[in-house]
Amino acid sequence: MSKKFVIAALLLAGGAVYFLAGMPRKATTPLADFTVPFVYGHFQVPKENPLTKEGVALGRRLFYDPRLSGNNEISCATCHQQALGFTDGLKASVGASGVPLSFNSMALTNLLWGPQRFFWDGRSVSLEDQALNPIQHPDEMAQDLDALMDELAEDETYKALFDTAYGGISPEAVAMALASFQRTLVSANSRYDQYLRGEISLTPEEEKGRKLFMAHPDAKVAQKGGNCIDCHSQFLTSGFSTALDGFSNNGLDGEDGLLPGLSAVTGKAAHRGFFKTPSLRNIAVTAPYMHDGRFDTLEEVLDHYDSGIKDSSTLSPLIVEADNQPLDRRQRGQISLNLTADEKKAIIAFLHTLTDEDFLTDPRFSNPFEEEAGDDAR
Amino acid sequence: MTRAKTLLAVTILSAALLWVFLEMKPAVKPISLRFHALVDGEPLVLDDMRYQNPGGDGQFKVRDFQFYLSNIRLTGPGGDYVLPDSYHLLRFDGDQPYTEIRLPAMDASAFDAIHWGIGVDPEANGTIKITGDLDPNNRMAWNWQVGYKFILFEGGLEDSEGFLPLVYHVGFDENYTPQSLPFAAAAESGEETIVRFTVDIAALFRADGPLDMVTTPSVKFDRDDAARIAAGFPNMISASQ
Ligand code: HEC
Ligand code: HEC
Repeated sequence: MSKKFVIAALLLAGGAVYFLAGMPRKATTPLADFTVPFVYGHFQVPKENPLTKEGVALGRRLFYDPRLSGNNEISCATCHQQALGFTDGLKASVGASGVPLSFNSMALTNLLWGPQRFFWDGRSVSLEDQALNPIQHPDEMAQDLDALMDELAEDETYKALFDTAYGGISPEAVAMALASFQRTLVSANSRYDQYLRGEISLTPEEEKGRKLFMAHPDAKVAQKGGNCIDCHSQFLTSGFSTALDGFSNNGLDGEDGLLPGLSAVTGKAAHRGFFKTPSLRNIAVTAPYMHDGRFDTLEEVLDHYDSGIKDSSTLSPLIVEADNQPLDRRQRGQISLNLTADEKKAIIAFLHTLTDEDFLTDPRFSNPFEEEAGDDAR
Repeated sequence: MTRAKTLLAVTILSAALLWVFLEMKPAVKPISLRFHALVDGEPLVLDDMRYQNPGGDGQFKVRDFQFYLSNIRLTGPGGDYVLPDSYHLLRFDGDQPYTEIRLPAMDASAFDAIHWGIGVDPEANGTIKITGDLDPNNRMAWNWQVGYKFILFEGGLEDSEGFLPLVYHVGFDENYTPQSLPFAAAAESGEETIVRFTVDIAALFRADGPLDMVTTPSVKFDRDDAARIAAGFPNMISASQ
């Protein structure tokens, strides 16, 4: 079988953009310079909410505005900080009430791809649908929507921005603007991307880690594998977008400890303990890890996959089967990747190539209020 | 001829033409190809340890089953039809008891055979082009140096010694299997023509003699093992009336 390094050529061919046609409102301008890597594949922007310059700018402002919360202290960016890949560095996020949430903040990166269901358990079906949740949640931003509408209407800047972008202020418009801004959060210039584009080569250790990440093991043909690609797709490193393939049980808890996870949404027992497979883009800066932030370091994550898997009825068979052992040495009931210390280190080295400094510092994604303050000071 | 007679003649002629036209106008409707998954002739039930290990002890369950079908083409007295960008991922975990491929509105009676390939043809398998259901970020991608899994079967087996995970990820270029089947409408509704097929998963484990899932619980990169499963491809899909 031929090796497929055509990929570099294709990447260089530039970003292909797929919009589900939809005419933006007259006063708005379609987002012109929005290009994305070809290898990320198809994506869909809802017809009712095309990406416009005005919508994205408004969304960015809302995202960073603490006035969206009841006590005017918490913004989306409190728990989704750019420098931390839009996470908050906490085991469990803390919002308006001071009561820690049951979940670890999720990175907001490349949300146009991967599972088009949001939250760890997939309970939200679109970014528009998701956006109004944290605003109203008592432990997150604890804001009454009517009160928020009144507050926004008193602000002349917001009034003008909403008028141009959406023809007025409404909860729907708030949701659409936040969704639009978040769709533009595309990370595509990590060292891994540069490697895919043929611009750099990885170090031998990173390359070893990449190979392990990208392979399901098969001892029969002497192929070692770390198995990661079985759930984290090769280019996006997120879960798969087809149906519910982007959710799975990666062995964090045993049968008795399984949380409902996706089964709370689908009602299927087979989905107990299934959570959204997150993108690993910028993973080196988004600790702690997993839905409950139980691991502080990538070393702990690798130890988990290598030798800490807990068995249960919904555990992925791919994890159980991936033992890097010939059949005659396989021990039933023993789950391990049987990686060496060097192999674990190599996978971690590869994970570090997913850090995209441009993304973490891109002024387009930063706090617009600080930018304005800077302009005023000048 | 008087004007009245002429008018009458023209009217009769037009009516006759209209009648002939209506009679001959073929039933041009979208065609729905429906695939029903079976195990040994019985409808597939997912996540249930109900199936007998074909070549050994124990019961097995199917947790996930999906496969690629490529390059659908119809032939017959009415000509040839080639479906563009024809790469289809068939999976059986939806709400309906079948999975469907929809073809554009055509007269189904113009065709008597359907052709496709099980798997992904070597040319498409050798690129990371995103066409049809091919997507290098989906679950069927091995990785870009290898191409796509043609068939994904994941499940588990239970015997006296306990649980054994089953992973059959099968498909290399040489396993791509063109197939031709008779093509005939199973049913017509006002809106579409329905053509039915069955997909018997058991065919994969019987072609080369019954497979003992305990001694071969997984097939991945070993070419001989892959060929052994792929030997069942020609018997997997059948036309059903
Ligand atoms: C108090 C902290 C906090 C605040 C404030 C907050 N979030 Fe979150 N966010 C989280 C946590 C925790 C999760 C995961 C929660 C879950 O799965 O139940 C999350 C998940 C998300 C997701 C899902 C990502 C995915 O991949 O599925 C999106 C999108 C999101 N937040 C956007 C926002 C927006 C927009 C705002 C402001 C309106 C916001 N968040 C405010 C903590 C916060
Ligand atoms: C069977 C599917 C599966 C496999 C195989 C798998 N993962 Fe995961 N991964 C997941 C899921 C699901 C989660 C989220 C789990 C949760 O929090 O409940 C996750 C979470 C993670 C996280 C934490 C992400 C975050 O934002 O907190 C890291 C890091 C990670 N995986 C790395 C890897 C590496 C490295 C490998 C290979 C050694 C791997 N995964 C193999 C499914 C998988």
